[in-house]
Amino acid sequence: MSKPSDLVQGTLDLLILRVLALESMHGWAIAQRIRQMSNEELRVGQGSLYPALHKLEQNGWIDAKWGESENNRRAKYYSLTRAGRKALQAETVQWERLSAAIALVIRPT
Amino acid sequence: MRWIRVLRLRLRSLLRARQVEQELDEELGHHMQRQIEAHLAAGMSPEEARRTALLEFGGIEQRKEECRDARGLVFVEGVWQDLGYALRTLTKSRAFTTVAVLSIGLGIGANTAIFTFVNAALLKPLPYPQAERIVALQERMPESGTTTLVHPVSFVEWHERARSFEALAIGQPLPVNTDGADGAEMISGFWSTAGLFRVFGVAPALGRAFAEEESRPGAAQVVVLSDGYWRRRFGADFRVVGRTIRMGGSQATVVGVMPPGFRVGTLNTDVYYPLPLDRSKPEAVGSRSFQCYGRLRLGVSLDAARAEMTLIADEIGHEIRAEKGWRVQVSDLRDALVRDSRPALLLLLGVVVFVLLIACANLAGLLLTRSVGRRSELALRASLGASRFRLVQQLVVESLVLAGMGGALGLLLGAAASRGLVFLAKDAVEFGQMADVRLDVSVVAFTVALSVLTAILFGLVPAWQVSRFNLQAALAEHGRGGGDSRGQHRVRAAIMTSEIALAVVLLAGSGLLLRTFANLLQVKLGFEPEQVLTMKLFLTDDAPRRANLVESILERVETLPGVRAVGTIQFLPLSGWTNNGPFYFVGRPKPTDPMNMASDVSTVSRGYFEAMGIQLVRGRSFDLRDRMQSPRVAVVNQAFVDRYSPQQDPLGQVILGDWANPRPTEIVGIVGDIRHNGLTTEPRPTVFLAQAQVPGYITFVVVRTSSDLQGMAAAVRREIQQVDPSQALTAVQSMRQYVSAALARPRLYAVLLGGFAALALVLSAVGLYGLMAYAVSQRTREIGIRMALGARGPVVLRSILAQGVRLAVIGLATGTLCAMAMSRLLTALLYDVSPNDPLTYVGATVVLGGVALAAAFVPARRASRVDPILALRYE
Repeated sequence: MSKPSDLVQGTLDLLILRVLALESMHGWAIAQRIRQMSNEELRVGQGSLYPALHKLEQNGWIDAKWGESENNRRAKYYSLTRAGRKALQAETVQWERLSAAIALVIRPT
Repeated sequence: MRWIRVLRLRLRSLLRARQVEQELDEELGHHMQRQIEAHLAAGMSPEEARRTALLEFGGIEQRKEECRDARGLVFVEGVWQDLGYALRTLTKSRAFTTVAVLSIGLGIGANTAIFTFVNAALLKPLPYPQAERIVALQERMPESGTTTLVHPVSFVEWHERARSFEALAIGQPLPVNTDGADGAEMISGFWSTAGLFRVFGVAPALGRAFAEEESRPGAAQVVVLSDGYWRRRFGADFRVVGRTIRMGGSQATVVGVMPPGFRVGTLNTDVYYPLPLDRSKPEAVGSRSFQCYGRLRLGVSLDAARAEMTLIADEIGHEIRAEKGWRVQVSDLRDALVRDSRPALLLLLGVVVFVLLIACANLAGLLLTRSVGRRSELALRASLGASRFRLVQQLVVESLVLAGMGGALGLLLGAAASRGLVFLAKDAVEFGQMADVRLDVSVVAFTVALSVLTAILFGLVPAWQVSRFNLQAALAEHGRGGGDSRGQHRVRAAIMTSEIALAVVLLAGSGLLLRTFANLLQVKLGFEPEQVLTMKLFLTDDAPRRANLVESILERVETLPGVRAVGTIQFLPLSGWTNNGPFYFVGRPKPTDPMNMASDVSTVSRGYFEAMGIQLVRGRSFDLRDRMQSPRVAVVNQAFVDRYSPQQDPLGQVILGDWANPRPTEIVGIVGDIRHNGLTTEPRPTVFLAQAQVPGYITFVVVRTSSDLQGMAAAVRREIQQVDPSQALTAVQSMRQYVSAALARPRLYAVLLGGFAALALVLSAVGLYGLMAYAVSQRTREIGIRMALGARGPVVLRSILAQGVRLAVIGLATGTLCAMAMSRLLTALLYDVSPNDPLTYVGATVVLGGVALAAAFVPARRASRVDPILALRYE
């Protein structure tokens, strides 16, 4: 199991943006979705999720709206903005380059 | 669009902090609930589910804080942090903070105090509607160009011809004898034509103003009260309109009451009453002794009015020969009111700006010293990741905190000082809005702006240095204790020399004004002001009765015990008033231009010269022989003799003058010259006429006494009441008070400039000492090495002193040059001392040189006694 501190800095932002690219959802759901999508490998530190969300909102990459959750509770829903979509693309490219480079180093052929 | 959303969000977290906080609670609460539910579904007990969820989350409060961090404005937070940091460091270095805050406080306080005056006199709007349309008119003599008050004849002509004015009025302050709560009382009146209220655009608060037809000869007497007199005399009774009050020998009906605060120019007036001006015979009410005010028509500019009045003056000069060459001066009302005090205020403002500059230099020096001492601290912060911008921001915040504290102190000091100044300046500066000298929004705004400005001024140097500093060099220097870099040395030298130069300018300026004051104290007055009591009477009856009244008063007062002499005069010396008119010698050819032969004229009674202590040079003074029916006689002063009769003996000559009730008058005596028109004005030719022959209206009783002045005043008052119970007395003052009032403005200059120069001296002494002490401490190690290598104490002392002396000499030279260039501005204020007075400059240089030397000597001496071993271990 991977602990949140093991996540490379900035990776959490990328994961959030990726998850929100599918549909808008609230904080708890985002954490669940990341876990599911990573086959239970990545468990987002629930505490660090919210500061990250608020920072992304401040950056203008995601937008927040209050709405009804699936069990009829008021919840804050986040969705990707246009700027966020662009950022996601850029970050993804960046990430792929980085992980490829790391892979080259640790598994030289 | 992104930036709009970002801005909205940031503003929201700043301004709607509570709502944002609630939403954060709700959001996290929702998460916790979902998490607990998930755990319950997995089969945990409620207690366990809750605990696990909390553990997983890891400290809700910390998380909230992190969210706030993510939201908060980074810059604002940084400033907040810096603020706290600045306050902590400033409280730690208490000595530094005290000196810094005191310096700024004194500098800003001085500025605030003077600005309250400048604000009241020059900036605040005058208390009239559309005051910018009100003008003051004066007449200008041919040739000399001296301005005079307005002749009623001129006024009538202007009134008929001029199209520039919506309203035009003349008037003069003229006291009124009336009945007060305890007997006869003299109140101040303003005697004017009906247009006055339209000129100033102020209508009575109660009743009405007097009408045009009430300002004609023979009209029923009416009067308009001022708010102050209405409250004082009638207890603010609303039914006052229609009542009558005694005005001199007749009764006048009250028709209106002016609103509070209304005044004509600078005058404090109790009642306004109509001037009975006969348009066909205007000279009946008087001569060039009237103030004239006008209100410009809408859309008429001051220049247009000036042009029209120039044309009109030409026309009048063409038609009336006696008026040839006279011009009209039209000035903006405020200009006319502050003409006298504006240079004084601007001078003082300039002076306090200098004081503030010295305070700033002081602060810059102190902060520079400090920032150099803090280099290692800043280097450490920089190496831990603080950006250069962040470091500069921290220093700027620190400067602002200092300036803020200094500004607050300055505001307090300034408020207190301005109250003191009002007291100090009350005889010296007059601009009608003296009551408005107080702290108001604009003064506070001025102080705040000034504080920020000073923070920028003195905070720039250290901030600039930090922005340039080299991290590696700074870290490397740490612990080496080497001297400071060349750049710092140069900045410090610049600060020290400019501080010295600024102080020299102030010291030299105040020296010149102090010498002026000293010279004025030495002026030979020509009369003896000690033990002389004066009081004012206003006589209203016809000429013989006025003459008799004065004679009876003289007879009674003469016999009082302790009275050595008594007499009367129309206008006292140094009271600022005088009459003037052309004359000629009967039997000699008449001068072609009457103004070429003019003399001051004064009406005095027998006993006046003795009472005032004026020397009788030759002939006789007035006595009981001089009666209404006896041949007219006059006494002239020495200046008159020197100017108009230097060859021929003036005694026995007959003159005829263009003054009240002219007849051929024989000169029977010559008296010594006195300073009648001011301490610095050379005595002018003067003719004294006999009160018993041409009695005036305004009359000052002058009593020379050997006893106590207060007691004598009461005794004289009793005697006058015995002669005429309806006769009121005012302006009971000693002659010494008039002399002192004449000295008021030079004294104010001397005291203020002297005070500010002393302040500047102290500030710069502190600043110089601080900088020198620091420079020496930076060299402690070097000194230690030199001493270890055999340098002796005196050698070290000399080398350090030499450094200080070099800077001092540069500063003194620069300062002296600046002072000599600027002293020309003072010329008008100086008396009997040249703006380049060598003694003053040498004095200023010596004093400041001494201060600079002492500031260098103390730390130098300490350094020369340093133990080399300790010095090498220093730091």
